[in-house]
Amino acid sequence: MRRAVRIGYSAAGLLIAAVWAFPIYWMVSTAFKSGKDMYSATPQFVPLHPTGDNFADVFGDSTFWQAAANSLIATVLTVVLAMAVAFAAAVAVARFRFFGRRTFLMSILIMKMVPSIALVIPIFLTLTEIQDASLGALQLTDAVPGLVIAYLAFALPFAVWALRGFVLGVPSELEEAAMIDGCSQVQAFRRVTLPLIVPGLVATSIFTMILAWNEYLLTYFLISSPEKYTLPLWLSHFVTTEGTSFGPLMAGATIIALPVAVFFMFVQRNLARGLTAGAVRG
Amino acid sequence: MSTLDEPAVARPLPAPRPSAARARRSRPRLPYLLILPALAVSLAVIGYPLIRVIVLSFQQWGVAQIFSDAGPPFVGLRNYSRILGDPVFWTVVVRTLVLTAVMVGLSMGVGVGLALLMERVHAWVRGVMTFSLIMAWAVPTFVSTQIFAWMTEQNFGVLNYVLGLGQHNWYTDAKQGLAVATLIVVWGAVPFITVTTYAALTQVPAELVEAARLDGAGGRQVFFGITLPSIKPVLVIVTALSIIWDFSVFNQIYILRNGAPSPDYQTLAIYAYMQAYQGHEYGYASAVAVVTVLLLLVVSVFYIRQLIKTGEAE
Repeated sequence: MRRAVRIGYSAAGLLIAAVWAFPIYWMVSTAFKSGKDMYSATPQFVPLHPTGDNFADVFGDSTFWQAAANSLIATVLTVVLAMAVAFAAAVAVARFRFFGRRTFLMSILIMKMVPSIALVIPIFLTLTEIQDASLGALQLTDAVPGLVIAYLAFALPFAVWALRGFVLGVPSELEEAAMIDGCSQVQAFRRVTLPLIVPGLVATSIFTMILAWNEYLLTYFLISSPEKYTLPLWLSHFVTTEGTSFGPLMAGATIIALPVAVFFMFVQRNLARGLTAGAVRG
Repeated sequence: MSTLDEPAVARPLPAPRPSAARARRSRPRLPYLLILPALAVSLAVIGYPLIRVIVLSFQQWGVAQIFSDAGPPFVGLRNYSRILGDPVFWTVVVRTLVLTAVMVGLSMGVGVGLALLMERVHAWVRGVMTFSLIMAWAVPTFVSTQIFAWMTEQNFGVLNYVLGLGQHNWYTDAKQGLAVATLIVVWGAVPFITVTTYAALTQVPAELVEAARLDGAGGRQVFFGITLPSIKPVLVIVTALSIIWDFSVFNQIYILRNGAPSPDYQTLAIYAYMQAYQGHEYGYASAVAVVTVLLLLVVSVFYIRQLIKTGEAE
């Protein structure tokens, strides 16, 4: 009886997994279809004449490589800055009791609540003004460094909160034991806690990376020149008023989503643990 | 609040670590130095823009002000009275509230349901489920929206074929178009909710469940007496985040409508965008943004209350 119930649950789980994965499958299989096969009256659930033409289109396009480079630069800068700044703050709030700690934590949570739409107008205008005040010496709108500033607005609160969860996950008793054995506090932290937090640091950086890599709304507001496009923005050039070239669009989308999915598989377990540890511990 | 994943055994009393406590108290400056960079950056990228958007909402800020040296004039509550007197705005507010309720309700219901299901399936099925959820999570919204646009394409969309709808156009009726947008949002939001809730479920102390079982508690009693209270903080945060994301939904609708959503497709975020970047009415758009944040605060008051309670108990 119990076994039958479990098999029933498992079957339901598999069905849901299939339904959930279908859009992804449809993206990838469309990417391998020729125009004729894509636009057939009866959809081909398995590409009958798989072709690499759509991928060749994407890889042969110099603007794709330009956008990939922009995405890479913006993402790496965001991750490095956010992680350096957030890690220090996370250690402070997880390991020390100090006046203003609760206020700081509360502010971080409230910052996570601010929608991009409320930030994008002032960020855009402020960047324009700084640029004007510097007589164009600081190019911030329609420029990758300006994007990094905007990305930090959502990356930082997330990174502080997630890292705090991971630091809390290492019992401070371990550090105290090391200090009894003669380590200084800094040494104890570096030798005991830091190695144990590495998975958390990796998970949080990869997740921050994904946020920046996938970001669309802020980028769309701040970037106007095609040579400054990031990858999600670059994809939009397949959408024209005459219609959408779904074949190369799906090939480009597959290429952009693939590394993210792979990274995600590696860190999702760690990440979920860190996020919930933060939440459960309040 | 009680620290659930630190059972009483591990830390019998908060007191017995005087040496460390003393060491930490003797260096009160270090934590401030550590949070200083985060504080500075967040004030610059979130705090200042927030203050700025509030100031902007009281100003006349349009194309003329961008190209003139004179600062933008303050116009008092004019932007706000213009919003409040605009029937379009109120339609947009109601649409945003309804959409948020539907999106959050569906994603939380399905997400938590799937997390509970994941606890009950074979380990390898759980792996398969995690895999397909992660794939959906990893896809950028621009991509997921285009996938759904392709699946609902009038002549060749696979959805029409599967549902046997013939050449159905999903977008002439905004209700149907918004239903597609809801589908995209829910599809993308469920993985985060499921994975996080499942992680919280694995942290529910097994001893407590066992003890309750020994005392004769049934499945339902265990769920409502132990499981639910244990994962409640996570559920509150996940719900709050869903409300925030869905209330300010932009990408899915905007991209689905190829960057030109007709008025009956507009949510608050899109309405504010249209005012700012097409009408160059930055002051007015800022007022809309401020009202959006205020409404969001009202909607998530429960979450904030929970946070304050948590803070007090700590």
